[in-house]
Amino acid sequence: MKLLNKILFGSLSAIFLLSGYDGFSQAPDKGSLSVAINYFNDNNKIPYVLVRVKTKVNGKFKTVPGIPLKLFLNKDSAGLLIGKVVTNESGEATSFIPPSLKKEWSATIKHSFHASFMGNTKYDSTSADLTVGKAKILIDTVGRSVVATVLELKDTSWTPVKGVDVMLAVKRLGADLNINETATFATDSTGKASGDFKRDTIPGDLKGNITLVAKVVDNDQFGNLSIEKTVHWGSKFVSKANDFNERTLFATRAKAPVWLLFIALGIIIAVWTVLILLVQNILRIKKLGQEA
Amino acid sequence: MKNSKSIASDEQIIQDLLPRKFKTSGRIWVSLLIAICLVGIYAYYRQLRYGLAVTNMRDYVSWGIYISNFVFFVAISLVGSLITAVFRLAGVKWGAPLTRIAEMIAVAAIIFASIIIIVDMGSPERFYNLFIYGRIQSPIIWDVIVITTYFFISILLLYYPLLPDIKILLRFKEKSGPGLHKFYSFLGSFWTGSHKQYLLSKKAIYALCVAIIPVAFTIHTVTSWLFATTYRPGWDSTNFGAYFIAGAFLVGAGSVVVAMYIFRTWYHLEKYITPDHFDKMGRVLVLLCLLYLYFNVNEFLTPFFKMKESEAGYLNDMFSGSFAPVFWFAIFTGILLPIIILLFKQGRKPLPMFIVGIMVVVGAWFKRYLIVTPTLLHPFMPMHDVPEMYHHYFPSWEEWAITSGSLAGAMLIITLLCRIFPIVPIQETINEHHETAK
Amino acid sequence: MNKENNSRRDFLLTGLLAAGAGLGAVAGCHSKKDPFEAAADGTVKPSGKKVKLLSVDGEVIEVDEAFLKPVPHLPAITNSEARIGIPGKKFVMVIDLSRCKNLKKCQAACNHAHDLNPGENWIKVNPMQAAEHTAPYWEPTTCMHCDEPPCVKVCPVDATFKREDGIVLIDSDRCIGCRFCMAACPYSTRVFNWGAPEISEELASQPYSCETSIPQKKGTVGKCDFCADMTRMGMLPHCVSACPNGVFFYGDLNEDSVTNGAETFRFSDLMRDKGGYRLMEDLGTKPSVYYLPAVSRNFPFESGIENDKKQNK
Ligand code: SF4
Ligand code: SF4
Repeated sequence: MKLLNKILFGSLSAIFLLSGYDGFSQAPDKGSLSVAINYFNDNNKIPYVLVRVKTKVNGKFKTVPGIPLKLFLNKDSAGLLIGKVVTNESGEATSFIPPSLKKEWSATIKHSFHASFMGNTKYDSTSADLTVGKAKILIDTVGRSVVATVLELKDTSWTPVKGVDVMLAVKRLGADLNINETATFATDSTGKASGDFKRDTIPGDLKGNITLVAKVVDNDQFGNLSIEKTVHWGSKFVSKANDFNERTLFATRAKAPVWLLFIALGIIIAVWTVLILLVQNILRIKKLGQEA
Repeated sequence: MKNSKSIASDEQIIQDLLPRKFKTSGRIWVSLLIAICLVGIYAYYRQLRYGLAVTNMRDYVSWGIYISNFVFFVAISLVGSLITAVFRLAGVKWGAPLTRIAEMIAVAAIIFASIIIIVDMGSPERFYNLFIYGRIQSPIIWDVIVITTYFFISILLLYYPLLPDIKILLRFKEKSGPGLHKFYSFLGSFWTGSHKQYLLSKKAIYALCVAIIPVAFTIHTVTSWLFATTYRPGWDSTNFGAYFIAGAFLVGAGSVVVAMYIFRTWYHLEKYITPDHFDKMGRVLVLLCLLYLYFNVNEFLTPFFKMKESEAGYLNDMFSGSFAPVFWFAIFTGILLPIIILLFKQGRKPLPMFIVGIMVVVGAWFKRYLIVTPTLLHPFMPMHDVPEMYHHYFPSWEEWAITSGSLAGAMLIITLLCRIFPIVPIQETINEHHETAK
Repeated sequence: MNKENNSRRDFLLTGLLAAGAGLGAVAGCHSKKDPFEAAADGTVKPSGKKVKLLSVDGEVIEVDEAFLKPVPHLPAITNSEARIGIPGKKFVMVIDLSRCKNLKKCQAACNHAHDLNPGENWIKVNPMQAAEHTAPYWEPTTCMHCDEPPCVKVCPVDATFKREDGIVLIDSDRCIGCRFCMAACPYSTRVFNWGAPEISEELASQPYSCETSIPQKKGTVGKCDFCADMTRMGMLPHCVSACPNGVFFYGDLNEDSVTNGAETFRFSDLMRDKGGYRLMEDLGTKPSVYYLPAVSRNFPFESGIENDKKQNK
């Protein structure tokens, strides 16, 4: 029996080694991930959660794609699952709050989010938490200034919050342009932050409409809030003379300058007519020869 | 009496000028050329397989000796128009025996000019894009159009004056063998030499001579515009078209002199290509040399005088830098020495002329090299953030092989053409003979 | 065309603000995507599939799936669309020389994003010195996306072309590799694929897109494409987001604003206050890349020398 055991054990370990099990070599240098949760709420409508996963390589943070994560509301329990996500190429993943959590969502004025990673062959398991209070942001204009109000839910009523930094800006491509030189405006005791609009003549659309945004960015208590409003303050967009549709030397073949076409075709037709006549001439000579 | 003598000498002329089978030396020559071509083809196969990476062209020197060689071929091909058309229109009679040589050189050169430009392309399998997407704004398309046209005219200009000769050739069936005989009769069995036919052909040749001159000017001007339409120092010149044409006539005339000498000795044509021909070609050559010298002075002196910052690097490199040996070699052998030699009557004898011809052709080839490379090595922006090898250019063996292959190929075409057709027009020589006899 | 777009955009905006149907609200979230652009020029089409979500007030709302992705899923751009560009835009870049210390992060990000061969850089950072007694500085160069591009003038087959939004792109499926454009570009910005690019099989077999410039192909030319694909999604080019010093600014001239991600300026203010200029103005190429002179520098020139030695021995 003992012998049998030995044989069994020996062959098992042989199989083990031969099958190239690399768990041993992997285990010691597993990387550690850092997960960050961000809460977003735009136009006071649909909230969502964004997680960013990074790892440290040679002292520098690098985003990690392809990490599966589970997101929970309040705590890690199957009934409170927000969703399962996988990070994209830039190491980010987002999830909305599913209707199944309606009851839990409405029950509290503060929400905790919990993200957990089970660990895989390359990275150790890890998790992260974020707690935000329910808040909303409003935008309005008074004369030529923009007023943003930040309100938080206390018990059952919306109350103004003091001392929140709000960014007031005009929506532009890629990023937003502040309405004046100040980067952020703090809310006062009425929850209001206001700034003068100093971007006169900034181009808007054809009617001169521009979109204003008020944003709370990465706030410890409330996460990210934003709201937009369209106003009539921009200058009308006049489409600049664009030579895309003109006939130019750098246009496509269909838009060659007329003078060029004229000259080129003129020369080509002239020369090739002569050449064709000359070939015909050979045929004529041939005919003469065959007649003779 | 007189008549019979002239008939006898007609036969003599024909016997002298009929194309002959290759002797051993001819065979060796042809096999040598074929061997060089084959090496070139192998190099091109490598280039197709691995891409232009096998060349030593890189992002800065993005055009190398292929383009130099292309310009060289286009330049040489211009001689067809010079000897045939310009001489004919100007009533230069003595040029008649040289026309066939000139046309053969022109056809061979233009064929290889188009081949070499395809060789230079990074994606030659997309060559047809030039026809389906061709954009008339691009000088390359102008070049494609003009080269096609010029090729066609050159073929016609070779063909028309051949017709009477083909009639003569057809008489010697045993001599040419059944294959060639068939080919001859396919080309020109219809030619009876009747007056009507003669008139038609004469008119056509005249029309061709008129047509080929502007086309020849265009082909080389457009080739120069491939450079002059860019901003690069050394290329950004309004002088470029005329400069190129002057150079082209020179190298073309040089190559005709070389060919004249070779054919003369090889086929014993001393009676037909006389020292007088050499003397006259010598005068033409010296004139062309002086013209080209003038354009060179024009092209280099004014920028040298100003020494603009953007051009200084390139000019210094040419005059006293790394390109100086090639530059001065090209100027001396290609222009100055020939002028000096040719000014003496002794220098215009066949053998010295032959040597001068070779000097001119070799000098011209290096001149084309200098037109392309030094400019590209002196861009406006510094050469930076690129691998070390991008800073220099010396052609790889593949480039040399392909270039030599193309030169050998052009010579092969000329050799084969002169195997098939008489190098000196027979009928014209007979006619001339009659005229002088009268 | 423009008019139509803008009115559609208005419609969408007001619709959104009034009813707050959630459309675009999410898409507009983390500043990466301007959803209205995508929706307005019709690049994002409703999929017809509704998804139920919870609103902040705890209500269940239905939203079309297509608008839910933070970066809306765009249908593949056809070649002819890529050749026209985004109407009503005129993309510009501003490069602030006073902030550059030759870190070459831009270059690394660009090479990575476009899978370029090592050594074949679309972005080059050149040490520049105008004259002996003037101070040297680092000058990153990209394709200038000239408004009268000499490279496009000379291309025989329309393989490189100028778009309505100002971007100059290359169609590697059409390029015949004549390299005339390289000779014509005075900024020496074009790079040739002399051999087969060293990329994975999988990538190489992907269909080529003019906007992503991927995959590069043997025997064709390549160059900076202003990350036309990123711009279409409302994101910034890779070099802009990669530079830790905020050297690169990118934006739409028609909106008069440029941003490096962290800071946003009015383009006209930058030009006026900092003395913006373009390279080789005398050639008449009318570049779309503007430079701010290397005054009041953030770093001494010397700080970039060490980093330069890796590529330029
Ligand atoms: S910088 Fe060069 S490649 Fe770019 S558009 Fe201008 S000329 Fe063309
Ligand atoms: S290399 Fe390609 S893009 Fe450039 S000019 Fe030639 S065909 Fe056009």
